[in-house]
Amino acid sequence: MNQTTSNFRNWVETQSQSDTSFVLSPELRNTSLTAIRSQNFPTRKDEEWRYTPLKAIAESSPVALVDTQISPQQIEPFAKAVPGAHLLVFVDGKFSSALSDDLSSQDKLGLNIRLMEDLDSESRKQAEGIIVHSKLTDDNIFRHITNSLATSGLFIDLKPNADIEVPLHLLFVNTKQTSTSVTHPMNIIHLGQNSRLDIVQQFASLGDLQSLSFPADYIQLDDGSKLGLYKVGLESEETDHISNCAVQVANSASFEDHQYLLGSKLTRSNLEVNLSGNGAEVFLRGIYLGDKSQHLDIRTYIDHAQAYCSSDQHFRGILNGKSRGVFNGMVLVREHAQKTNAQQSNKNLLLSRDARVDTKPQLEIFADDVKCTHGATIGELDDNALFYLQSRGISRQDAAQMLTRAFAAEITDEIKIDTLKEYIQQEIESRLTETHKLNA
Amino acid sequence: MLSIKDLHVSVEGKAILKGLNLEVKKGEIHAIMGPNGSGKSTLAHVLSGRDGYEVNSGSATYKGLNLLDMLPEIRAREGMFLAFQYPIEIPGVNNTSFLKKALNEIRKHQGKEELDAIDFLDLIKKQMKLVEMKEDLLKRPVNQGFSGGEKKRNEILQMAVLHPQLAILDETDSGLDIDALRIVAGGVNKLRSDENAFVVITHYQRLLDYIVPDFVHVLSDGQIIKSGTKDLALELEERGYDWLLDQPETVA
Repeated sequence: MNQTTSNFRNWVETQSQSDTSFVLSPELRNTSLTAIRSQNFPTRKDEEWRYTPLKAIAESSPVALVDTQISPQQIEPFAKAVPGAHLLVFVDGKFSSALSDDLSSQDKLGLNIRLMEDLDSESRKQAEGIIVHSKLTDDNIFRHITNSLATSGLFIDLKPNADIEVPLHLLFVNTKQTSTSVTHPMNIIHLGQNSRLDIVQQFASLGDLQSLSFPADYIQLDDGSKLGLYKVGLESEETDHISNCAVQVANSASFEDHQYLLGSKLTRSNLEVNLSGNGAEVFLRGIYLGDKSQHLDIRTYIDHAQAYCSSDQHFRGILNGKSRGVFNGMVLVREHAQKTNAQQSNKNLLLSRDARVDTKPQLEIFADDVKCTHGATIGELDDNALFYLQSRGISRQDAAQMLTRAFAAEITDEIKIDTLKEYIQQEIESRLTETHKLNA
Repeated sequence: MLSIKDLHVSVEGKAILKGLNLEVKKGEIHAIMGPNGSGKSTLAHVLSGRDGYEVNSGSATYKGLNLLDMLPEIRAREGMFLAFQYPIEIPGVNNTSFLKKALNEIRKHQGKEELDAIDFLDLIKKQMKLVEMKEDLLKRPVNQGFSGGEKKRNEILQMAVLHPQLAILDETDSGLDIDALRIVAGGVNKLRSDENAFVVITHYQRLLDYIVPDFVHVLSDGQIIKSGTKDLALELEERGYDWLLDQPETVA
């Protein structure tokens, strides 16, 4: 144990020893606490974290959370993203039954949603089994912090053949606390054979507040099942958000993930997908839209472990002000993963001289009968296109906004939930309007 | 309507237009012909306000306004239109909503009421017949995946919808087969009136079989070296440019 101590590390240690009722079993917590104690807090010297500034987190001194009551009106601006969805709301990490739909009302459809703290021993064993069997190549400190400190969590268990039409909307709202607060949203998701579900995970803040959020998701998709997962980040400018999501995709199962990183001071999204069955599919889309000094960072790791699998990922960055975007994507095709079809694309649009992007699409192939492509671009708005629009009577500012909107729309058009698509397009639009006004 | 006097323009320090004069009045069609590199496209770009062209001296006025001081979008809103030699593909921007936005910007500027979606659709469908364009091209992004001929027809469609007072056609005939050429020219002919004017820039005489100009000018090395009627175009077709280039002192 040669790690340096820091305010934050000390806080984690103190918290873990407190008499709080933690949600995971002592065995799992101990494993994670050992992992925390034996590793350094990541710095820029760590290859996986070389672009991500974590100093502010390391030096932060969080405070204990104070319960805040909020009204349905306060969450309406976020809830409207998916009207009619089955809505579950967490306020400062705590489940709010007052603001949420009934947890067990979906049981009759085969969708069992339970708080981890309420699980019977058999279900707990099942849920924790998914954590134990998840594989993460970047086994970073943040998911272990969540494993050891989470006091609540969701276990979403969909029965075989259940086909759920209505999306599940998980809304995580943070409220203003006396100083920096920390939340640990945890979701364990299991889809039985040939079942289907869409989940929207939305992260938001009420007011300007400093918070740290370390979501951890563990997902297991059984044969032939289909999960659509939408992550929408709209947190305040003082929020740091580091999420870890580990997904196992079995035979002919399909995982579709859309990420819209629009808020926060810093977001780092780690997504690792293990295609562990023949014919498994993963489809990833996302946009990071930054301004001012935001840092938005997406890391994906796709492990083609079996044959006949496909992965298709396309992420776009739009960076203004002094913001910074990072895309770090790895596609690994193992020796026996023949007939793999893997596509990876990252395109970035810089709207200001001070904005910056680091992109690192990577491909490692050990099989010989595969079709793989990857590529990245970084550019500015196309002068020829701007002039073309101007020559038709459209102002340069409007033209710039049209082109930027179009750049984003090629990704947002892929959102399969219509109301959510509209909501996200509006969120992007309002941010771009602000951006182009400032640049005009 | 358009008055260009002794215009000198350079690109990256290299002189391209070297004292160009041109007068265009309402109701007239002017053809500007000339060999490659004579400055034809530079003229079109300078008139439409493209960056990267340095006006060293001379003037260009349009409807009495100093054209060279106006932003490209203001020129368009004042009724100027450039049909591009190479129309730009704009992924993600829908052809119809782009054109509706453009038309309404122009209408707003001219103090007219903006068209709503229904009225606009009526208008555009009518104009599409003029250029024999397939309706599904309206649903596509601007020029994306269009064939060469479709792109040029899309330019003429935009011209028909925006209804300019002065249209500059920059080598609209290049790369067109004879059928497309006839359709494009037919569009122009239906739009011509006593109230508007056209400047048709072309390398070949064949477009002028379909769009009959009132005046033909020969541009060479940045100057108009000869002006005449449509007969001049026929003579150029027969004899080429060389007989004119040998006598550069013949200034129109």
